[in-house]
Amino acid sequence: MGWVSAEDDRDATIGVAAELAAPFAALYESLWTQPHIPADVLELCRLRLAQLHQCAVELQRHDAVIPAEKAECLAGWAVNPIFSPAEGACLAFTEVYAIDTQALTDQHADAVKHHFGDSGLVLLVEALGILDGMTRLSLLWQLGANANQAQASGSSQ
Amino acid sequence: MSGRPRATNSNKPSGNMIRDSALGLVPETLDHYMGFNRKIWECGPLSPAEIEIARLRNARTVNCVFCKSVRYDIAKADGLDEDKVEMIQDGFRESGLTEREKLIVAFTDQFLNDPGGLAPQLKAELLAEFTSEALVHLSLVVAHFSGFSRCAVSLGGMPDELPIMEVSVPQ
Repeated sequence: MGWVSAEDDRDATIGVAAELAAPFAALYESLWTQPHIPADVLELCRLRLAQLHQCAVELQRHDAVIPAEKAECLAGWAVNPIFSPAEGACLAFTEVYAIDTQALTDQHADAVKHHFGDSGLVLLVEALGILDGMTRLSLLWQLGANANQAQASGSSQ
Repeated sequence: MSGRPRATNSNKPSGNMIRDSALGLVPETLDHYMGFNRKIWECGPLSPAEIEIARLRNARTVNCVFCKSVRYDIAKADGLDEDKVEMIQDGFRESGLTEREKLIVAFTDQFLNDPGGLAPQLKAELLAEFTSEALVHLSLVVAHFSGFSRCAVSLGGMPDELPIMEVSVPQ
């Protein structure tokens, strides 16, 4: 259980703000069903954000299915050929975004656009904003690292 | 920061500043994004002026020129004037902000700078001042506007500075 409410996971905590929970859930769900960036690529980016923020609760969460080997090797994606160039472009963008958003270069953006177009870049930055925000909230709310195990089957497959 | 826009929406302008921005390239998320944004302003226990304090503190830290220049009309109508905006700076603890407003700034700073390092004293002060619903509202406000600011920064095309612009919540 975190400290902001009696709830013990992220989604239930958001549910405390009853009128905001449903529109937020709709927005969050839309990230995983849009056609611009595949859900598994987005999941890699979400998990990389969680690694960089050292957020155990978000590392336990599953929003889309990815191969176990990729999850295990994610920190070393840059030197591992199991990650595609498209995944690499998004992960490189994600890492700079997480560390210093203002340090993103046109080259980072162009690499994402090469694979996913302008709309893919827009979706990626929109998603990173939400995913980074949720990771920070899981830390700030001090949610337990086992809080998300119940939904480990994923909200989107 | 790039002065060149990194994504361009060449669709026919609608007159809605959000839909006509690069965000309009992803209609699958845009309506949900705008719907959540409206709910943030209209449906939580925090007042518009309190929301604007958190939004502007975030804008200053993330250094989003667009976000720093904007003032929402409903926050002004709720009493947030430029004198108060000037207090949302370094040294806010010694400013004329109310204790509740100072806690909003402190919470925003914690989210942005060290989300995993909340001190027991600040936690106790927040719990004494805000209900659980208000704390979740504040959390979602800060997360939402942090994401929006970082989105604008990431997409480039940011001028060095802009004049203050009063806007309404996009519908």
